[in-house]
Amino acid sequence: MDQVSSQITQKLNTIVGAEDRHSIRSKRKTINALLPYAVWRERDGQPEMLDAFLCAARASGTSEFGWSRVRQHVGAPLSKATPRAVVLASPHIQWEFLADRGDLVRRWAAATSAVPDTEEVVQSVLDTLFQVASQDALLPHIPANVWSWLAKKPSLPPVYWGRDAGAHLHVAKAVRGLGNIKIIKSYFLLVWSEWDYLASGGFDESRASIREDFGGVGDGCHRAELIQHLDRVLAQLDRGLEYLQQHNPNPGERNFRMMKDQYRELKEILLETNIGAVARESYPTMMRIRMLTQADMLGSRVTFMCALPP
Amino acid sequence: MLGKQWLNRYASTDMRGTAIERSQNRQRKLDGIVAWYFDHMVGSLPLMLQAALLLLGCALSRYLWEIDTTVACVVLGFTSSGIIFYVFIVAAGAASESCPYQTPGSNALRYLRPEVQRMLRSAATIIASTFRDTFRKSKTVRTIEMNVRCYYPWWSGDKIKPFLNDMILEVPGALAADAYHLWATMVRLLASFPPGVYRLSSTIVTPLVSVVRWVHNWSHGLEQGSVQQATTLDLRCISWMLQTSLDKAVHLSTFNHLATMITITEFDPTLATSCFNAFVSCVTVGFSNREVVIMQGLEQLATVSALCFFNTISHLLVMDPASSVLEDVRQRYLRVFPAQADFHCHQSYHTVNAARCLLVRWRERQFFSWSDYKPSTHEQTMVAHNLATVARAEFQRTQRVKIPRLILRFALHSLSLYPPPLASIVADCLSIIAIDLGCDMSDTGTTTSDERYVHVL
Repeated sequence: MDQVSSQITQKLNTIVGAEDRHSIRSKRKTINALLPYAVWRERDGQPEMLDAFLCAARASGTSEFGWSRVRQHVGAPLSKATPRAVVLASPHIQWEFLADRGDLVRRWAAATSAVPDTEEVVQSVLDTLFQVASQDALLPHIPANVWSWLAKKPSLPPVYWGRDAGAHLHVAKAVRGLGNIKIIKSYFLLVWSEWDYLASGGFDESRASIREDFGGVGDGCHRAELIQHLDRVLAQLDRGLEYLQQHNPNPGERNFRMMKDQYRELKEILLETNIGAVARESYPTMMRIRMLTQADMLGSRVTFMCALPP
Repeated sequence: MLGKQWLNRYASTDMRGTAIERSQNRQRKLDGIVAWYFDHMVGSLPLMLQAALLLLGCALSRYLWEIDTTVACVVLGFTSSGIIFYVFIVAAGAASESCPYQTPGSNALRYLRPEVQRMLRSAATIIASTFRDTFRKSKTVRTIEMNVRCYYPWWSGDKIKPFLNDMILEVPGALAADAYHLWATMVRLLASFPPGVYRLSSTIVTPLVSVVRWVHNWSHGLEQGSVQQATTLDLRCISWMLQTSLDKAVHLSTFNHLATMITITEFDPTLATSCFNAFVSCVTVGFSNREVVIMQGLEQLATVSALCFFNTISHLLVMDPASSVLEDVRQRYLRVFPAQADFHCHQSYHTVNAARCLLVRWRERQFFSWSDYKPSTHEQTMVAHNLATVARAEFQRTQRVKIPRLILRFALHSLSLYPPPLASIVADCLSIIAIDLGCDMSDTGTTTSDERYVHVL
């Protein structure tokens, strides 16, 4: 049995090493059928098969690598697996078919607190988080502390299923509902990307969030960071579709144009919001100058100084 | 008497033991009877008596002819009548199979008649033309003809001597030349004989060859003493029991025994038919023409026969996918069960549906789910082994493209179970995946069938 397992692992590594996306995709279901067994093996201290599976999933170059059939069979493996296996395997489960498995979400959430936050782990956690949060039925099962993973700001690969799921209206609303400006900013930094466009609900929510959450006088640094990020995204988009498709074959001509329009519009809104905020910020200063002048004239400077903002 | 003695030995219950052991003993005897052409041998014993009677009649006629012609004529008349009567009944038996006066001779004639007729017709044509040609070109005839013409009238006193002299000198040489010519013609004739002649000879020789082969195999088998031989014997025994018995209790115990055999090889394909028949006899399609209901009291038989049906069908699909038996079962299945047949009432619902998918190549394969499949360990072992075997065969048949998704889904289901299934099941499931990934499975350490037996038992 071990011999067959090692043979399969070797074969997977060979397929991944050949960098032949087509052959990996054509064997997508077969590789996915291995996932429960790979999780069991990882539990027994043999993580090679799970690692090979994850390599194959990454090398497939598609966000739809998972097999919907796996969802029916992951309950037992995930409930008994190690935290590392739970975290790394979860993005490949297709949570949209698991609306009634709040227990699995809680198990996953518990596992996230028991693993060291390496780059791979952070990517997996956020991928799962976005997928789970995009499901109405599963969203309430996500503990609030898991959202803090957004603040870790990992670099996400071009092909990333979670980014697409994360751009949905539910997720954006949930993140905004946290009321933490830093987490909201981190969320936008992850979701606004040259590799994916925003779903219409998510785009509207982004616009509203910029106006409502980032319009504060003291949010200048956050706005600046978001504008800088959008500049980088637009610069990447200006390199053309062919360049993007070398790394991510998914966006087509239509999506490409939509992305450009969306991110330009978001940048414009951010700039407008920033101008408004600067204007609001500069208004009390003008008022203070006028008042100081009047106080000098009246000879009661101290009274006016106390009334000034710190 | 000799035949009676042999039959007594066959009918005797000379062995004690379990029902299975006694059945094996009986099957061994039956196999021996078939392999040693016992029926032909017993049939030939009266022939010997008849031949002895004929010889007696002939010898008596010959003896009495010298003593008293009248008495000899009477005996000769009786003997001749007997011969004519015998020839008549042989001819009648050969001409019509429904004739009640069958003899071994008429059977042999009927068996050989088409070949003999074809051969005789073509041989007669060839021999006639060959001899006609040989006679026309005969040197001896021409020599005699020439001498007769030359010395005409050769019988007169002065010509007879030189005529005979020339004849003595020339005819032997001509005869020798003709003999050589005739020999060469005969060789050519044999070479140009129609294939029917050789077919005929092969039909006669084949039984002899098979006897020799059986003896060889038997001696070889004795040396090996292998388990496989016992399994083959068991399968023949089971096949015979299912075909001959109508008793449900016998069927149940027979199927229970068959169900313990995970790996079955060299079985009679009609065993699959027997399993299907037994399964069909336990169920009935409901009024909705959809729900399949198990008859009361036959639940156990329905379950075990379904399992055996799946087992035999899977093996047959691997051994001989183009088998006429398989096609026959497929056609009957389609006639018996409607397209939307629902087997949910069946305890082995998944196994029954898997058998249907494999047999009928249903589009339902796409929607087939193993998610709530909770079989016994033995059933799961059998299903895993069979599906792995079918996967290997299908993968080779489809020239290394994909194995059926139904089988892949089974592997997924079994590999995700907690507690994990038996090692042999895991090995089979992994081999399914390895096959689909294109791994070379020739040198893997997967469990053997014997190991599976150990696990199950």
